[in-house]
Amino acid sequence: MDEQLNHVPGGFLTLSEDGIILSSNQTLLGELNYSISQLTGQHINKIFTKSAQLFYQLYFVPLIKVNKKVEEMYLSLESKSRKEIPVLLNAQAKIRQNETVIECIMIPIRQRHEFENALLEAKKEAEAALLAKNKAVSDLEIALKSLKEKQSELLKLNEQNQKYKIETKKELELARKIQETTLTDSISNEFIHIEAFYKASRELSGDIYGVYQIDKYRYGIIILDVMGHGISSALITMSVQSLFQRLISKEGNPEIVVKELDQHLHNLFQNNEEARHYCTAMYLLIDTKEQKIDFINAGHPPAFLQNSMGIQELNSSVPPIGTFEGTQFKTRTIPYQKGSRVLLYTDGVTDPFGFNHLKPLLLDNETKPMHELKEDIIQSMDNTNFAYHQSDDQCFLLIDLF
Amino acid sequence: MNQDILLRNNVQIEGSGEKSIIFAPGFNCDQTVWKSVANAFKQEYQVILFDYVGLGKSDIQSYDRNRYHTLSGYVQDLLEICAALDLKESIFVGHSVSSMIGMLASIAKPSYFSYLIMIGPSPYYLNDPPSYYGGFEKEDLLGLIDMMEKNYIGWANMFASTVMNNPDRPYLTKELEDRFCSTDPLIARQFAEAAFFADNRRDLSKVSVPSLIMQCSNDIIAPTEVGEYLKNHLPYSHYKKLKATGHCPHMSHPEETIEVIQEYLSATVKQ
Repeated sequence: MDEQLNHVPGGFLTLSEDGIILSSNQTLLGELNYSISQLTGQHINKIFTKSAQLFYQLYFVPLIKVNKKVEEMYLSLESKSRKEIPVLLNAQAKIRQNETVIECIMIPIRQRHEFENALLEAKKEAEAALLAKNKAVSDLEIALKSLKEKQSELLKLNEQNQKYKIETKKELELARKIQETTLTDSISNEFIHIEAFYKASRELSGDIYGVYQIDKYRYGIIILDVMGHGISSALITMSVQSLFQRLISKEGNPEIVVKELDQHLHNLFQNNEEARHYCTAMYLLIDTKEQKIDFINAGHPPAFLQNSMGIQELNSSVPPIGTFEGTQFKTRTIPYQKGSRVLLYTDGVTDPFGFNHLKPLLLDNETKPMHELKEDIIQSMDNTNFAYHQSDDQCFLLIDLF
Repeated sequence: MNQDILLRNNVQIEGSGEKSIIFAPGFNCDQTVWKSVANAFKQEYQVILFDYVGLGKSDIQSYDRNRYHTLSGYVQDLLEICAALDLKESIFVGHSVSSMIGMLASIAKPSYFSYLIMIGPSPYYLNDPPSYYGGFEKEDLLGLIDMMEKNYIGWANMFASTVMNNPDRPYLTKELEDRFCSTDPLIARQFAEAAFFADNRRDLSKVSVPSLIMQCSNDIIAPTEVGEYLKNHLPYSHYKKLKATGHCPHMSHPEETIEVIQEYLSATVKQ
């Protein structure tokens, strides 16, 4: 080999068509740490890493066969001491003395190799980031799709719910009408005049009242407020109403009426403590001939008996009915004068925790006709001061005694 | 639909003959690598050539990262072509990784194939000591993929400049240009991962179609040990060691390749 070529600053190697090493310059031998006799006659694979052997077979062999040259191919050599040397290779196939000879030059590119590795690493990271981004986007799209499905499901449910609500409202409206049909008409004659006001906080009320003429002179008047309001309370009012209607019409004795109602509630809930409701009640038996009122107030707000002398309160003396079994209900009696006025009401009419405005209202309007007083009371409930009472059922009875 | 698949995989049909013979190119190659060998069969057979999606003149738009993530995507390509052409009992010739693609296709649809001819096949490229020698460690194959990446920039220049240097054999240059230049770096990388890391040893016993194993001499990619393993584990197989060296006898030694295939076909047909 030419002396200059032997020591040029770069590797030089010749191969046969089959990849057998024919010669190598000293520079390359130095890099690889082989002697010339160790390489001559060997396959080029001897100085390649395993990866380079594969790459050589897959790319170098077809390229050199077809194109007769290879340019700027990156390969990795392996020295005798198994050290990897990255090189850039150029090769050309020449016919010399009727034989194909492949001439290769190889330049080690250690520094550049490091740099390229860093570039590739950055490229891979960018690709991975892009893939992750695309995945995140497609995940979001899936989430959005399922969100839309859920939303339309919700809309459908809402529609069903709305339909149900309308149906329920209709049902409750009908129930309210049924409840109202049980209310008795007002009574007006030469001895007595009774007017009632009744308003449910929702569709159905937990309040109930009844006024009955028992005989020519006697009148039974009852007002009840079942604990709570709404459907369950309303059902109980219906249950007690049918009972007190029968009891009062037949008999009218306060002790019997109230005792029976108390027993009825205990019977209703004796096997179901959870459903237990108690109820405040006030029952009046007015005798217009004797001009006296027999009454029992079981936990109910005091009724007012007004005459020219002032107002007497008919206070509660026993707990609400349905509370304690075996409660003794004792009738109290109070005489009245002609021209007296009685007001019965449930706690929805007044502020249960504040000032009872009904008493001054009665005093201030002593001479007013009953229908005007009734309007005044209704208006007083509508005042904003009592607006929160809209959450409670409202019922009151006015009685003028002649 | 059928027409779509034929266009997608650039299916070319030539030759006259009742029997069909399909040539499937190996890793990272397109159908032009078969030119010399396929020509020899046109008299007697209907010769079918094609490109896998992502290579040659296939429809690159059809490339789907998920589908071609493993060999099954390429098996699907082959099966769809067979279905589109309504092939029955055709002869399949596959180079390198295509041997395994054809074999997997024959397990899925045995009726499509009468013979499998495998050139330089390997069911698994990695060593799995002590019972199996595939030729490579995992690092070797990762190193190859790494090396492919580092050579991408060079390829475009290499092939563009060679056109002028081969005025006497222009078709050869064109051949290579089509084969390599249309290869997208990402597709090549994925194909390499699908091809070189696939372990098909457990599929061998499921093969019911007779096969010819063509084992080259000094083949670094599919060493003799691998060919012999196949001989022992592939049912109905016939083993033939070639004089041809390297991994691409259909390119480097087309005469011997043609001769061995024809010999096998005439011998088995006589039986």
